Amino acid sequence: MPRFHIHVHNSIGTTRDEEGQELRGLEEAEQRAVEGVRSILSEELLRGSFDLPGHVDIATPEGEILRTIRFREMVRCHLGEEEE
Amino acid sequence: MIERHLTRLRIRHDISEEEERVIRASVSEVREYPAGQTIIRAGETLRYSTLLLDGLICRYKDLKDGQRQIAELHVPGDFADLHSYTLKRLDHNILTLTHCRVALVPHDRIKQVTTEHPHLAEVYWFSTNLDAAIHREWVLSLGRRSAISRMAALFCELQVRLGLVGLADDKGFAFGLTQNELAECLGLTSVHVNRTLKQLREQRLVTFRNGRVEIHDLAGLREVAEFDPAYLYLDRRPR
Repeated sequence: MPRFHIHVHNSIGTTRDEEGQELRGLEEAEQRAVEGVRSILSEELLRGSFDLPGHVDIATPEGEILRTIRFREMVRCHLGEEEE
Repeated sequence: MIERHLTRLRIRHDISEEEERVIRASVSEVREYPAGQTIIRAGETLRYSTLLLDGLICRYKDLKDGQRQIAELHVPGDFADLHSYTLKRLDHNILTLTHCRVALVPHDRIKQVTTEHPHLAEVYWFSTNLDAAIHREWVLSLGRRSAISRMAALFCELQVRLGLVGLADDKGFAFGLTQNELAECLGLTSVHVNRTLKQLREQRLVTFRNGRVEIHDLAGLREVAEFDPAYLYLDRRPR
């Protein structure tokens, strides 16, 4: 199986995934990236705020970026007013 | 062959030479397994318990969608499933995380040992109680600790448990897990584990790289984890 590295970039900097993981394909890597970012955001939210500007790069072991996904694409925020 | 097991027992218990002879004689077979092999599946009928000699193994349960939760790690010297002696089947699986060497101890020999040597019956009862105490600490981590504290707690626990059998010191220990397996211990994702490792590194507490946990500040790591080794019952028991 191919190896994918999921690098995370946000306001605190870049977290490079040096180890990577063997996955069935890019689709599974995207799924892992989304689950991972949602997990990080959910922990931030428990502390009262979350850092939505950011993105992940899914890369090959050689460093080629196959896909970039922005955090904004991974969650839906409803910021409208509460209905009376 | 079972030196680490005897070392582990003797941290807490007085084991006589006669008892040592009996424990050594209880092993029927030694097997080796590669990393990543489920060596016992939930539900299968068991007639022996597995004692880990070298490597790391875990107890895990999983969901239909493939998500896996590792419930406990075992270090050399531990029985992985002493409880199968009474249960006869497990409600969880046993998986090798690294290349492993294990000794098999048939249940009929455990019966003989514990019947003829009541002190060893207490020692092994204690051992299953200790596993339960470790499970409770993991429940606390999974339910209440933050990601960084959870990871720190796991490293602190392993530093103590591996240290008891000479496989860790204040500077660290070999730890051949992938980030994904670490995530399965901690109820996190691999991406979140990577981020949390970065935090621990930046706080100059610990670095996990190339199969090794390097501890830079053990006291600081224990503080982040709120680690209290009391649940590992390290004090010596009266005979």
